Formats: sequence, structure tokens, C-alpha cells
Amino acid sequence: MASSITIKNIDAGYGAVRVLENVSVEVKSGETVALLGTNGNGKSTLMKCIMGIVRPSSGSIVAEIDGVKHELIGKTTEEIVDLGIALVPEGRRLFPRLTVEENLLLGAFRPTARAQMQRNLEFCFETFPRLRERAKQLAGSMSGGEQQMLALARALMLAPKILLVDEPSVGLAPILVSRTIDAIKQLKESFGLTVLMAEQNFTQAIRIANRGYVIVHGKIEFEGGSPEELNNNDLIRKFYMGM
Amino acid sequence: MTMDLFVNAIIAGILLGGFYVAVTVGISIAFGILDIANIAHPAFIILGSYIAYIVNSRFGVDPVLVAVLMLPVFYGLGALVYEVYYHAFERRGQDALAGLSFFFGLLFITEVALILVFGVDYRYVEASYIGPTIRFGFVDLPLRMLIPCVISLLLIVGLQLYLSRTFIGRAIMAVSQDQQALRLLAADPVRIKRVAFAISIATTALAGAFLIIIQPVEPSVGREYIGRVFAICVLGGLGSLPGTVIGAMLLGIVESLTATFYGPSWAPAVAFGFLLLTLAFRPAGILGR
Repeated sequence: MASSITIKNIDAGYGAVRVLENVSVEVKSGETVALLGTNGNGKSTLMKCIMGIVRPSSGSIVAEIDGVKHELIGKTTEEIVDLGIALVPEGRRLFPRLTVEENLLLGAFRPTARAQMQRNLEFCFETFPRLRERAKQLAGSMSGGEQQMLALARALMLAPKILLVDEPSVGLAPILVSRTIDAIKQLKESFGLTVLMAEQNFTQAIRIANRGYVIVHGKIEFEGGSPEELNNNDLIRKFYMGM
Repeated sequence: MTMDLFVNAIIAGILLGGFYVAVTVGISIAFGILDIANIAHPAFIILGSYIAYIVNSRFGVDPVLVAVLMLPVFYGLGALVYEVYYHAFERRGQDALAGLSFFFGLLFITEVALILVFGVDYRYVEASYIGPTIRFGFVDLPLRMLIPCVISLLLIVGLQLYLSRTFIGRAIMAVSQDQQALRLLAADPVRIKRVAFAISIATTALAGAFLIIIQPVEPSVGREYIGRVFAICVLGGLGSLPGTVIGAMLLGIVESLTATFYGPSWAPAVAFGFLLLTLAFRPAGILGR
């Protein structure tokens, strides 16, 4: 069943500071879309708008979940999550003084997720064997890479239809960035997710993305219909490769 | 002879510790888990004592039964207090100092209201188990201590299972660590905190009944417990109910040993010295995470 997000012409900001200007982004069912841009260009704010944490001043955000359309603006974060949209937030936001297992089980808080908790937990442990080994360990005592895996796994415990991932590579060593990106791809394929990923690491992100948007100073400056288009774009060359 | 005294002092300490568990468990939840420094907690305990006293003296109902019947009422009262606290302080980010004075105010208002209605006379309850003592050889088990101890331990086992095995329980353990992250898991942190705080106040109905079973009560008796409950909570480790049991038992035993061998007036000093010493070696408390 189709699950997609359509963001149309949204403006958003904090107080008097305008962060997003007339942003339109579409993630079609089953796609992995990369939202590319360096720090401070509004990637996280866009994620927060989708999750109801920041309220856009104009525009619309429509999520289609299993064929049913919902306008997200005006809904609370809890309501949006309960529709089946999960965000792996920037900085992971784990509960450091709970165990790995407790963090995972909390992921299944919403009623729809509780019904499939055991199955999803088993899947998480198979995909990330490290998490099974460390199930009884406090989340805060794990390494950055392990914590990122836990954050992904916890979002998966929500049994989402749409997965948003905000800056999965931040603070990780290159080898771990690559592993994290692979894990996102694997989860997407196993669960048939629709994925929107905000990322600074251009080369890693386009390894798994079907399409991408480049956001600069709160505006979508380029929309690439394929990884090749993104690769050969002047803007990308300018911002990422310094050419 | 000294051996008899020693064993009896230990047993009495464990029984006393069991009672301290009931007095402290609510603070372990409110302060240890939710980060709400509810210093009015002992006032709710005294309120619980007076309700047990009124129903017991008028209708002859067993005080523990009164407490059990009052659990939902105290739960509702706790939810109400949390709503006021949330809207007046926490939502505006003034929960630290303004919130503390709110609970101080609540403590004094409750105390003064009880004094105005009942005066400062000591009140007590009557129940078949208040007098008798079970004896095993030289070991004394006074029923008025044994019954609160057993029920308190059952209470804390139940609460620990609730916190570790249910979805709401796990969310309660998480709520003070990251509210935004909880929202992203579809759990409303305000609702979670309200439930937890309500449970914390509900436990005072039982603790209040136990207090008036163990000793006669007047409205300001609660003050003696303010320091003790926070001390037990910190000693055991914030946020850990098993830690609370250990902390309560240790404090009970230390107080009881000191009272037996050196005189009751030394008991608080030695108990708090013990607390400081423990914290010097384990700053997070015995089972603190």
C-alpha cells in the first residue's frame, strides 16, 4: 500500500528568523530521497516541520499512509508518529540510563507497534547482532556507532511506513557512516519503507538514494531526478567538492 | 544476652525499614524518576493517617482497608496536583525553585488545615494487630510493624514489575531523560508524568495508614520524615526501586542498632553520617544508574 509525503510551499522559522522559504519536497511511495545540504541550511527544521515539532507558517504537508491522506500541519508529534511516521532524530536522542532492550521496547509504545513487537524485536536483533549482545547494557555506555544502530532499530520498533532519518552520519567514523547508510538501505528493503534522509555526507547519501534535493539557505536550489544528475550538478560541485 | 539484643535490633531495623519503604517509594518515583522535588510528600502521608483515623474511629474500619479504598482517591488527588504544578510551573520552565516553593506551600497548607480541624493532639487507630507480638525464641515480631513491612514489600514488588514490564512503566522510567524523544515514540510525556505522579501520591494513602498504626500521629509529625525519605532515596540510588528497598532497610537497621546500643537520640545522626559515608564511596547511591 502506498505511503508517501508531499510537502508544498512551506515557510517556517523560529520567532523572527526565517529558516525555510517556499520549500516543496516530495517523497513517493517506496523511494529513498536524500535531502542534501551543509550545516544550518534548514534540513533539520524541515524534518521538525514534518514531525509537528516546528509549525510552518504557510504551506501544506500531506502524508499518505496505506493509501489514506492526512494533513500533518496542526497535528501533535504524538499523532503524527501514531500514523506511522518515525524520525531518527539528529543526535540519536536515546534514553542513556535505560538498557538497550528497554530503549527498543519503548519504540513499540504505540498500539499498532505493540501487536508486532516480538517479531520486530527479533528482526532488529538479527539485523544488528551487537544490540542482542548488549541488550542489558545501558544505552549511554555504548559507542557512537552502536548508538546510531540502536536509534535506527528503535525507530523500526515503531513499525513505521515512512522513515525520516536526520543526519545519521554526524559524529561517526567514516567506516561507521558507510555501515549506517547500508543499514538504512537494508531496513528500507526489508520493511518496504518510504525513506527521507537528511545528510551532509553527499557521497554516502547518494549511494542509496533514488533522488535528492539540495537545500541552500532554506530554499530548494536543485532537484536531482537520479544519483547521476546529482553527481554532475554544478551546485554540488561547488558546495561539496570545492570545484 | 548482647547477641539477643543485637539480633532483635537487626530484626526491628528490617521491620522499620519495611515501613520506610512505603514512606519513600512515592518520593523515589516523584523525585528519583520524574525529577519533581515534592517536599509535600510527608504532608500527604499525614493526610492519609488522618483519613485512616477518621474512618477507623467513626466506623471501626480497619486502617489498612481504609487505605486500600483510598488509593483511587489519592491517585486522583495526585493527578490534580500534577496538573496544577505542570500548568503553573513546569510548562513555563520554572519547575526548579518556584516548583519547590509550591510544594513547600502545599506542605504548610495541609499541615495548618489539619491543625485547624483536628488540633495538635496525638491521634491513633485501633486494630486487632496493634498490640500482639509473635515470638520465635528470643526474637520479637510485633504485628504492628510486621504487617506494614510485608505490605510495603508487596507494594514495591508490584510497582517494580509495573515499571519494568508495562509500556507506560517503561515510559515513566524514560520521561525525565528526554521528553522530546518520548514524543517521537508517540508517548505524551505530560500524560506519562501525570500517571507517575498520581501513583506516587497514591502510595501515601498506604504509608499514612502504616504510620498511624505504628505510632500516634499529630499534624506536624510528617516533618520528621522529610529528611529521612530524601536520604533513603539518595542512598539507594535515584530512580531505582530496588535501591530504595536497600536504602530503607539499611537506614532502618542503622537507626535500630544505634537506638539499642547508644540511645535513640543518636539514631538520626548516625543514620545521616552513614548516608554521607556511602555517598563518599558511591556518589550515585547503592544501585544508582
